[in-house]
Amino acid sequence: MKRAWSALVALVLIAGLFGGCGSLNGKAESGVTSGTSDSTGTAGTNGTDTKEEGPVTITIWHDKEDAVAEVLAESLKTLEPDIVVVLEKKSNMTEALKTVGNDPNVAPDMYFFAHDKIGVYAEMGILTPITDILPAEELSGYMENTIKAATYKGEIYQLPIYYETLLFMYNRLYMKEDEVPATTEALYDYMVENTKGGHYGFIEQHSTPYYAAGWINGFGGSILSEDGVPGLDSAETIAALEYHKKFVDLMPGETEYATVNTLFNKGMAHSTIAGPWLIPTLRDNGIEVGVAAMPVIDKTGIAISPYMGVQGIQVLKYAAANKAEAVEKVLRQIMDVNLQVELALISGCAPASEACYEMEEITSDEVVMAMKETAEHAVPMPNVPEMDVMWTVVGNLLTDVNMSGKDVGESAKEAQKEAEQLIENMQ
Amino acid sequence: MKKQNELGKKKTKKTWIAYLWSAPSLLLILLIVIFPILYTGYISFTNMNVYHWTNYTWNGFDNYKDALLVLDNGFIAALMFTVLWTVVNMVLQLVIAYVLASLLNIKNLKLRNLYKTLLIFPWAMPGYVSILLWKTGMFNSQFGLLNQWLVKAGFEPVRWLAGDVIAFVCCTVVNLWLALPFMITIIDGALQSIDQSFYESAKLDGAGWFKSTYYITVPMIKAIITPAVVITAFTTFKQFDVIYLLTQQVGAKTGADLHTILTYAYEKAFITNNYGYSSAISILIFILLIGLSTLMNRQNKRAEVDE
Repeated sequence: MKRAWSALVALVLIAGLFGGCGSLNGKAESGVTSGTSDSTGTAGTNGTDTKEEGPVTITIWHDKEDAVAEVLAESLKTLEPDIVVVLEKKSNMTEALKTVGNDPNVAPDMYFFAHDKIGVYAEMGILTPITDILPAEELSGYMENTIKAATYKGEIYQLPIYYETLLFMYNRLYMKEDEVPATTEALYDYMVENTKGGHYGFIEQHSTPYYAAGWINGFGGSILSEDGVPGLDSAETIAALEYHKKFVDLMPGETEYATVNTLFNKGMAHSTIAGPWLIPTLRDNGIEVGVAAMPVIDKTGIAISPYMGVQGIQVLKYAAANKAEAVEKVLRQIMDVNLQVELALISGCAPASEACYEMEEITSDEVVMAMKETAEHAVPMPNVPEMDVMWTVVGNLLTDVNMSGKDVGESAKEAQKEAEQLIENMQ
Repeated sequence: MKKQNELGKKKTKKTWIAYLWSAPSLLLILLIVIFPILYTGYISFTNMNVYHWTNYTWNGFDNYKDALLVLDNGFIAALMFTVLWTVVNMVLQLVIAYVLASLLNIKNLKLRNLYKTLLIFPWAMPGYVSILLWKTGMFNSQFGLLNQWLVKAGFEPVRWLAGDVIAFVCCTVVNLWLALPFMITIIDGALQSIDQSFYESAKLDGAGWFKSTYYITVPMIKAIITPAVVITAFTTFKQFDVIYLLTQQVGAKTGADLHTILTYAYEKAFITNNYGYSSAISILIFILLIGLSTLMNRQNKRAEVDE
């Protein structure tokens, strides 16, 4: 009896081991209603093959907050019953797409994400250009910067929905409207005067590449060019780092998100450069936050030019080849101007479609309009795969210069060499 | 002779049956331990990267040649740091855990179970959460508890994670916080397994606390705690999260330049998305660890023979 029981347990264990290896191939998902779901794993659902009868299921992976997903899902419901759209939230989407992006059984049909990974996925061969589905002229109504962000090696891979840039924010309690610095030197003077007694005149994540990029771009330097060449040892980048350092000396030592934003959120800092995502929390905490244009760098006459991130829809190759008609309908629905306005406002970002800026709800929004103004000189975050190694290299460079007091020129040269070596190692 | 043959056959049959019953576990080990190592080994001989995601090809030892370039001065410095990190942490862990476990075994100690629960608490928390709590709750120069105490006492705030030496001390404190519960539990169990009559006899012979510890406690718990020490030594040697999260996290670097071999390899290889190259580095580190493991086993066996 004991032996038989042991044998049974062993058999169940072995069956269990191989149970997970089963294929989902051809499994229909008919009957699934439009809506949202959460998932943290890599396995997804692809949905109904077009060859089968019944509704076509389109799965969209995203990493957005629930409110954004709900608005999108509600709008896409209008495509039912012919097309059923399933929005699936992924917490680690970039890695999940790398793992299963070319497996039609588990990969999504589209994903809703920032543009900066387009190069990686295009090189991996899992993306299809959006212009294979929609005529290029239909994208002419989008802001030039957003289309530039969506373009990799001459092909447009993303349908832009909204974009975000960093903003200059100030606490109205301490900084009056006429005190808002128009130039970086005015900002510096304000910092010198007001950084005392546990208060800071201005703070930012000074040694984080995403934030420091605004200063580097404003000097005409670059972290990485559009074609993937690092620009860390250029005269402009070095000049930017040297100039930026005097501001860093008047900021706290910590550079991470939590410390910097908490200082502003607690009213211990008068002004900051931060993302629009911070504004709801600030308002909830009773901070009277003002948003202004980025200060102009006196030495160059160019405003601080932060990176710009464009959120939009990318289509996977399998879906483009097998569900072209349904994919096109979904994209056209997402191109609806009213939906884009709603999505932009609910996410606290600015819409990518020019037509949206003729609408009252957009023109009356101070934050969105400040973002539009900043976007005019913002630089789309590079979408080439080489950018993946730059975050670490530039982070180290900024730490060396700003926090360890190393020589700017020498550190920049070393960082450039390291970046080139790492990029070579990517191949 | 015939009887011997029969015995031999019976033994062989028993061995096969033992293997049969162990088969599911062995299969599981094969799938989740051996297969990933073999697959990593296979990938290390290919050019699998972002540009050759599905169409990767065999490229022999090219990745190993490139990987050996990573083993430059920086790698040697990281290796030296890793050895220092392991030795300091292991010595401190053993001493502190032994002292605390001994205190827990004091006769008639009140609230013993409460102390044990409190001491095990850091182990129950996910490491990631503990490390970030230490970083923001204790070491943060603006809001951290340590600086709040310093400021109240009239001192200047300190940037705890900015310099190499001070960051090393802070990382060690956090690592001890995370690792001590395991070592205390093991040593506590080992201490309880010692028959009290040994100590009573030693006391009658006039032995004090030091002699009892040296001649009774240490030899008797050595065999029990050795596997735990070996496991912890390897966990400490291949430490990544404490050093990385406290000082190296992208967007939250502190200015300290501490690198274990894993954080170094991460910055030099894993961020490149070149899976062939990263796998070659992983295999080299794996070989290094196997070498150290063999060395430690030999040392242990030699020590046992000497005894």
